[in-house]
Order: sequence, then structure tokens, then C-alpha cells
Amino acid sequence: MQFALARGFHFLEVLQLLVSGISQGCVYGLIALGFVLIYKATEMVNFAQGDLMMLGAFFAYSYINIFELPFYLAFPATILTMAIIGALTERLLLRPMIGEPHFSVLMLTIGLGFILRAVAGAIWGNEPRSLSTPYAGGVIDLNGLIIGYENMVIILGTAALCLLLYLFFRFTRLGLAMQAASQNQLAAFYVGIPVKRVYSMVWAISASISAVAGILVAPVSLIDPLMGFVGIKAFAAAIVGGFGSLPGAIVGGLIIGIVEQFAGLYLPPGFSDVSAYVILLAMLLIRPQGIFASMQRKKV
Amino acid sequence: MRFIKKTHYNQDIQLFKHQGQLFWYGALGVALLLSPLVLSDFYLGELSLVFIYAIAGIGLMLLTGYTGLVSLGHAAFLAIGAYTHAYLLAQGWPFPVSILCATLLSSLVGAIIGIPALRMTGIYLAVATLAFAIIVEQVLSHWVSVTGGFRGMAVELPSIGSFSLDDSVTFYFLCLFILTGCLFLALNLLRTSTGRAMTAIRDSEISAQSMGIHLAYTKTLAFGISAGFTGLAGSLLAHKIGYLAPDSFTLLISIQLLLMVVVGGLGSLHGVIYGALFIGLLPQGLALLRDTLPPALAQIPGLEPGIFGLILVLVLIYEPQGIYGRWLKIRSYFEEFPLYRKATHKRQRSYLRTERLK
Amino acid sequence: MSLLAANNLSLSFGGVHAVEDVSFSVNKGEVFSIIGPNGAGKTTLFNLISRIYDASTGSIRFNEQDISQVPTHRIAELGIARTFQNTELFEQETVLRNLLIGQHVHRRTNLLQEFLFLPSVRQQELRFRKDVEDVIDLLDLQHYRHQVIANLPYGVRKMVEVARALCLKPRLLLLDEPSSGLNPEETEDLSFQIEDINEELGTTIIMVEHDMNLVSRTSTRVMALADGKLIAVGSPVEIQQHPEVLKAYLGE
Repeated sequence: MQFALARGFHFLEVLQLLVSGISQGCVYGLIALGFVLIYKATEMVNFAQGDLMMLGAFFAYSYINIFELPFYLAFPATILTMAIIGALTERLLLRPMIGEPHFSVLMLTIGLGFILRAVAGAIWGNEPRSLSTPYAGGVIDLNGLIIGYENMVIILGTAALCLLLYLFFRFTRLGLAMQAASQNQLAAFYVGIPVKRVYSMVWAISASISAVAGILVAPVSLIDPLMGFVGIKAFAAAIVGGFGSLPGAIVGGLIIGIVEQFAGLYLPPGFSDVSAYVILLAMLLIRPQGIFASMQRKKV
Repeated sequence: MRFIKKTHYNQDIQLFKHQGQLFWYGALGVALLLSPLVLSDFYLGELSLVFIYAIAGIGLMLLTGYTGLVSLGHAAFLAIGAYTHAYLLAQGWPFPVSILCATLLSSLVGAIIGIPALRMTGIYLAVATLAFAIIVEQVLSHWVSVTGGFRGMAVELPSIGSFSLDDSVTFYFLCLFILTGCLFLALNLLRTSTGRAMTAIRDSEISAQSMGIHLAYTKTLAFGISAGFTGLAGSLLAHKIGYLAPDSFTLLISIQLLLMVVVGGLGSLHGVIYGALFIGLLPQGLALLRDTLPPALAQIPGLEPGIFGLILVLVLIYEPQGIYGRWLKIRSYFEEFPLYRKATHKRQRSYLRTERLK
Repeated sequence: MSLLAANNLSLSFGGVHAVEDVSFSVNKGEVFSIIGPNGAGKTTLFNLISRIYDASTGSIRFNEQDISQVPTHRIAELGIARTFQNTELFEQETVLRNLLIGQHVHRRTNLLQEFLFLPSVRQQELRFRKDVEDVIDLLDLQHYRHQVIANLPYGVRKMVEVARALCLKPRLLLLDEPSSGLNPEETEDLSFQIEDINEELGTTIIMVEHDMNLVSRTSTRVMALADGKLIAVGSPVEIQQHPEVLKAYLGE
């Protein structure tokens, strides 16, 4: 094994890695956001979040490449479809599980992930597909620092979505209701918040965020039924950031995205793939509550 | 219904609570001992596999079903057991020593992995074990000098001295023997202080602590024991599959092990056996299913995991206590007929379980 | 003879003083009640004694030993057992197994012996069972022995929790609102049982309680808390007439 550290750091190279790390990290962050959103509101952990992203990417592919809708129509159509699928999933699978132990819900969503992968494989097949977008292929050259339009769109899109979510939770009735339901299911119900409907909405929003992640990432990586496995890395991101914290999800995603890029270049092969998990384990050892802590121990 | 007159506390401690149980388990034992006379090599092989799954399942059940710690990475311990055993055999170590070392090493690694788990509960732990399993998988692929990397490594045929354990009947008895031993150990553990401490942690950590149970120690112990059983199963599995490669121990296997304890019925050793039968026989069932389905459906590449997922979802929604729970309900239906009420087995749900500040 | 002595205990959660500079001592053989309005810091005090919380300042001595730094699980070995306000039982286990878990501190066997269920383990199990049966007899739980906790009514659960604490054979028993959720009849029984535990087993009891009737019937001394501060300590009659206590409960 030959360590590449000897090659030294070139400023431009570092910058280039940083940009692709950030763009990859944004994707992790977006999926992590979906995890955290559902966890915050319902205390359920959705292990199928990555697979919802995969489904979103496939729907976008169908609308654009098969039905030949223009991008500006296909984009909202995909989000709407995924919102409906998210809400349906909650209604049909998760609602019977309200009040069951966390472990059962976790297992259920793992099962759901397997089902979604099989269904996607059945509908779209297993060969990788690529999504055509209006911004494909272009690059910006900043004095030698090359940024692809796709990466640019990922970063800007993530930023915009975060702003939107912030405004939503801070200022809308529904956003506040979701926060209330996340504190205490029973109390929220008593003060007249339709907890069940709120849960459906949360799933719809979370699935939509995954759909956006799917559309953003599709031009860079190809679409196939197994692409949802990045969900596991996103999960690591959510925990590194502090499970239950929305900004934490994005920060965690960025950390993992960036470290992965650097590990890929400067460390022996294999390290890049596991770096996310090494960070996760290290984090759990040093500061298990994550960067933005929000856990508290049970009161007696 | 059976009423038992109890005259001594020993009766509540016995493994077999009454003559009836002794009779039926005895009958099962005899049937298993005689089955090589009737069953073909193929079915003996399948049964051996079920036994191996069951040994691994005992490990996971002790951890998940009894201590309440979820592991999404138990395939890693299976792998550690398998590779260690294969490696030591290749170095010329005798079979019993090698299998013992594989078990102990796996157990040790389990205990070490348990340490970060001490401060975590539920989901954190699940993800930590998942991360660990993925790292182990990568190590197996890249540590070529020991594991053979992606090419994998062949496992030597099992033998004690010059006595070969390789033919299907001997191997069947080897697996049966080890499984019985494991069941005995696990049952003993569960009826004594350590086992009770584990269940106490599952149900309430805070009051377990107030009862004088050392959380960190007991959880580490549970992890170690669990990994040990699973590692032991792994070393037997190495012989069963004959050739080890990193992709024999993927995330799917970890999930399959969890599926086994969930479908069988969490919190019971009976559940392990039912679960192992289920997992062991499922591929046969799926093969049959493939033959009857229209080709367009049967050719879906991810069909098998998909059906795994579907079964998991259905069991969790409709029968969270698994096959064993269903069996108990059916039995009490007949025992109490016509007085049986559905509400007897109603589960308690909890709507107030927040662990968070905001 | 004081069994437990707290000196200048304080604990605050993010600026809120849950317990502020509280000192008291409990004598051997006493039934010592703690009363006070909601949020007075009674349960927090219990959590400090059983080491679930770390005190910000102050110290606790039990049996002439400083226990302020003792790890939580060692408290039971020292001889302090407790119950919880909303019961914290092992829900999926039978009453019998719950009580056997209470015997954990008396375990003398090691893991290897237990794996093989050697005769020493069997002897220990039989001994545990006998002790558990004594407690079952004391608290009249015979009917529930083999029932799973989740299926039991609330009143029984409360008694099971007391029974589980007694299985530790504690020198000091902490009861957190033992009568909450019980009907008048069950409360009546409870007062006799508290007397039994105190007199027959010689266990010192500290009890957080709202039911003044129960408190005056059973207690040797009463301590009143309000807003985390100690207001008064004295006999039940003294406390009930204490002007500061009346003020804390009824306002100005």
C-alpha cells in the first residue's frame, strides 16, 4: 500500500476537493434532513429515506426521459408524486405502529427499503440510467477551479431548500404544529393539533425533500435501485450533526462529504468508503449527542 | 388446561416444567437423532444450516430480545468467526482449538464494540453496529494477506485428528450437538442473575441501576456473549459454505438475522428456532414461488430481499410477537375454549416517550 | 443515631434551583416524610440520594460514609432501595422475576457457574426464591406471583415496586409518592404495610407523600419543602400547624 500523502497539498487541488466534497455533502445533508424531520416530529426513524430518494430520482427520470416533460414541469410533478407516496406510506404502514417500540418501527422501515428496491427494480430494471437536465455538462472555470453546473445546482438548491424549511418551521401554523407534536404526542392531541394529519404531512415533506435530493444528485451519479444505500451515510451524517437537529443534519452531511473526498485522494483505497463510518464511530465515542445536542435523559 | 401442583421451588427453576414438556422435547430429540436414517443428504444439509442459523440467532436474541440492544451488524461477528476459524485451520491448528479461539475472538471484539454502546441507546447503537459491520466488510476485502481479499479463501475440511467431520451426517450431528449445547447455556443464563439483569436493562435502565445492576458491565457482557454465539455459528458456517468471500457477510445477512429473531418472536428462545426454520426454508419456498410466478415477475432481480422486506413489514404490523407469539395465542385459544377473549393478549402501547429537550 | 445526613445540598437545572441548600438528617428506624407543593424538589432530592443526579454542591452521608461520588449502581449494594413516582417496573416480566431482580445485589455466583447452572447456582436460586416469598407474604402478593406486570392494575404495581425494593433487604427505603393513584382502601392498606416494614424489618423509610392523612399516621418526623428550600422539620402535628408551611400551601 502506498500512501499518497507524499504528493503534498496543492492549494487548487484542495479547493477542488472541497467543492466536490461540499456538493456531495449537500446530498447527504438533504437525505439526513429527511431523517431528522421525521424523527423530530414522530420519534420514528425512517431507514428507507435513501430509498425514497432513489424513487424520487426514478420518477424524475420517467417524467423527463420517458414522458418527455420539460424540466420545469417534471420537477414539481416529481415532488408532488413523492409527497403523495410519503403520505401514503405513513398512512398505510407507519400509522398502525404509533405507540409501538422504536425498534419495531426501525425494522419496519428497513423492510420498507427492501420492498422499494424490489419494486423499483421491477418497474425500471437494474441498469443504471442517467437523467437529462437542462444544465447538464456546463462548467464554470474560476482561475483553474472547475465547478460543474450540476454541482453548482446541488449546492444552491440545498441552500434554497434549507431557507425555505427554516421559514416554514418558524412562521407557519403547520410548522409550529409539527414542532408541538414532536414534543409530546398526547399533549399536542389534547390542545387540538390533528396529530395524525400532521404526521402524514411530515412524511410528505420528508419524501419531497428526498425527491429534491434525488433530482439534484441524479445528473452526477447514475440512477439505479441501489443508489438509496447512500442513505446509510446520510444517516451517519444525521448522527454526527446531532440527531434531531435540522442544521446539524446539513453540517454533518458536509463534514462527511468533505472528509470522504480527501480520504479518497490522500489515503489508501478502501478508506474513502469507510470514512463516514469511522467518523460516526469516533463521534459516538467522543460526543454521542452529536454536534448540536438535543437529547436528554428520561425523567423519573 | 393443565394444572400443576407445586411442592418445591425447584419446580419453577427446572428446564422442563412438567412431564408433558419433557415428553415432547424428548420426542423431538429422538426424531432429530433418527432423521439421518430417512432424510437425504440435501435435506440434512438444509437442516444443518437451520441449526447454524439458530446458534447465531441465540446470540442475537440474547442481545436484542432479552437485553433490548439492537444490532444491525451481526453479520460482522459471523464473518469474524468464520474467517478466524478458516485462518487458524489453514495455519494447522486443530479443529476444536480453532473453533474455540474463533468464538472467543468474536466475543472479545463484540465486547469492545459494546463499549461505545454503553452510552447510547436504541437507534444510536443500531447505527454504530451497522457502521462497524461495514468497516469489517471493507477490512475483509482489503486485508489480502489474511483474508484473500475479494478472491476469498477456501476453508479446510473439518476433522478431529484423523476423524473427518465432513460428510453430511457427521456434520449434521456436529451442528445439532453444538446447537443443543448453546441452548443449554442460554437457558441457564436466562434463569439466573445475569439473564435477569439483562431483561431488567431491556425494560427499564433507570430502575435496573437502582437495583444495583451495573449497566456498562452488563451491556458489554451481553454484547460479548451475543457475539460469541454468533461467531461460533460463523465458524460452522465457514464449513457449510466451504469458500469465504467478503460478500457472504453483507448488510443483507445482518438484516436476515434480525428478521429471524423478529419473525420467530422476540424475547423467546423458541422464537429463535422458529425463526431459523423460517429463514432456512424460505429460499426453498421462494424457489417454488419463482416456478409458479409468471416469468416477468419471477425474473425481478431484487425479488428475494423484496419478499424478505414484505414479510418483515407484515409480521411487524400484524403479529409483532412473531411465530411463537401466534402459537401461544392459538394454544391458549384451545386451552380456554370457549372462554378465550382476544383482549387477553392485547399489547400495551406507550404514547409518551420523549427523550429530547426541544 | 443518624443513618442518612444531607449537608447543604443544591442542584439547579439551567438556572432553576430545583434543590437549594437543603440540610437534614434521618435517624435509624425512623419513618421520615417529605412534603411540599408540586415542584418543591422532593423527587429531585430522591434522585440525589439514589445518585441518579449529581449534586451541584453539598454532600450526602449514608451510614457514616460519604456517598456523593458513589456510582449509581453501587447505591443498592450499600443498602438504599427506592420506588418511583410513576412506577418503573420491568413491564414484560412476571412479578416473581421482578422480585428476583431485586435480589441481584445478593448474587454470589459468577458468569461461568451460571452458564453451567452448577449446584451452587441452584442453591442460590432457591435461597433467592425463599426470600422473595417472604416479601410476597408480607405484602400479600400471592395471587399475582406469575402474572406479567403489564397486565396488572396500578395499585398492585405500586405494591410490587415496594416489594421489589424490599428484596434488596435495604437499610433505607425511599418511597416516592407510594399512595398516588391508589384508592382510599388501598391507601389504608398501605399505611399498615409501611408500619409493618418499619417495625418488623426495622427498615428506615424516607417517603415523599401528598396524603397528609397517611403522613400523620405513619411518620415519626416530617420535612416540608417549597421551591427547593427547606421550610420546616418536625413532628407531623407541628408541621401541619407551622405558619410557613401553611403559607407555602395556601399562599398569603
